[in-house]
Amino acid sequence: MIRRSLAIAAILITAILLQSTIFSQLRLLGVRPELLYLVTIVIALNEGPNEGAMVGFIAGLSEDLLLNQPKGITALTLTLLGYAVGLSKQYIVSPSPLVPTVVVAIATAVGISFYEVVAFLLGQFDAPLSIAVRTALLTALYNAVLTPILAPLIRRIVEGARPRRVVRL
Amino acid sequence: MVTRSGPRNTRLLVVGLVAASLAIITLDFREGDSGPLASMGRAAQTFMAPLQEGVTTATRPVGDFFTGLAHLPTLARENQDLKRQLQDAQGRAAAYDSTQDLVRKYSDLLGLQAAYQGSIAADVISNGYTNFDYTITINKGSDDGIKQGQPVVSGAVGSPLLVGIVSSVTAISADVQLIIDRDWAAAGQLSTSKVIGLVSGQGDQDLRVDDIPLGTKFPTGDLPEYVFTVSYEAAGHHGLYPPGLLIGQVSKVYESDNALSDQVSVSPAVDFASLESVLVLTSAPRSSP
Repeated sequence: MIRRSLAIAAILITAILLQSTIFSQLRLLGVRPELLYLVTIVIALNEGPNEGAMVGFIAGLSEDLLLNQPKGITALTLTLLGYAVGLSKQYIVSPSPLVPTVVVAIATAVGISFYEVVAFLLGQFDAPLSIAVRTALLTALYNAVLTPILAPLIRRIVEGARPRRVVRL
Repeated sequence: MVTRSGPRNTRLLVVGLVAASLAIITLDFREGDSGPLASMGRAAQTFMAPLQEGVTTATRPVGDFFTGLAHLPTLARENQDLKRQLQDAQGRAAAYDSTQDLVRKYSDLLGLQAAYQGSIAADVISNGYTNFDYTITINKGSDDGIKQGQPVVSGAVGSPLLVGIVSSVTAISADVQLIIDRDWAAAGQLSTSKVIGLVSGQGDQDLRVDDIPLGTKFPTGDLPEYVFTVSYEAAGHHGLYPPGLLIGQVSKVYESDNALSDQVSVSPAVDFASLESVLVLTSAPRSSP
């Protein structure tokens, strides 16, 4: 349990670090990826709604603490996103390797849009609708491009830290 | 972390986490910069700053190298050995160019530092966390004498550029709110007409200057119109920024017959994506050096 929590904490810290340093330079049409959304979605898709919501809350809160914006909006967004993606796991029956990429793209676009709506309602976001939609779609595209590279890595780290089941005969 | 539980427990967990998120949003709104969440934020930033500095230092030469390679012309020759040699040479040239560029940036900064007595040079270690975050983090903090509300500039002696204002400080790092942040605003003066308006950040779009009197004349043709910071004093309070810092260049003028004032768009002078080092004005002069 502790090993697993530490592994997830390490993934989250690395994601925040990369997002604020390397990926702030490597922008796609002016937009950077949202790695914490990607991590939450991949873990939720792999582990289910319980862990998805938990990881989403911790990831969102970590990002919120570092932002100079009202704290809690990302935590709320990623909690619900992790739960929703985790629930959708039981309805996905296709064995296609493209599944994580498609889910990450759709879930990121929905998550960013939800964040924008909540931030708008709290008076923290007043960009025109075209900019809001463009940001959500481009971020979703960037996250989708990164998924085939990062998703197997995240899965391997999380599964590697899973306690081994001992079978006694 | 709970891995196996029924749907009922999961729903309870989600309701609990959503309630916690809503409580955090409310608490943060009420407490602002002085609350426990702000303190936790500063602690988190103190933890992240050395890591960010390490990653930035380690990856900058690599990033510059790839930026250089991206500009290489397509090689016509098919000979693989020659191609490799040429690529190697041009890679080195690109790396040399980026070193020269760095030397130029630092000498500009040194000149600017000499012009502004009482200023601190700092490296940019992070460029914000999300697409909605228009801040940068620098590697100097309260231990070096940096305080909230100090102006941050870049550029060279003849043309100092306004970057933003220190918005929060830890012992070893500080966050700088960029002038493109939607919550940033300051008085700005047009270079030709000397008219003063209110400049405000608009995120990824150009800055906006409001409250320009109707009928203000703008230069015609290709002549550029610039916007600079301006000093003012009202009821014993003075502006935060020293005068003469370039904010940007007017990109569009909106004139309307039924508005009370004109409005212009301004493209910022600073390229925020490639900002590597800045100067924090710890004792802002009241006049241009």
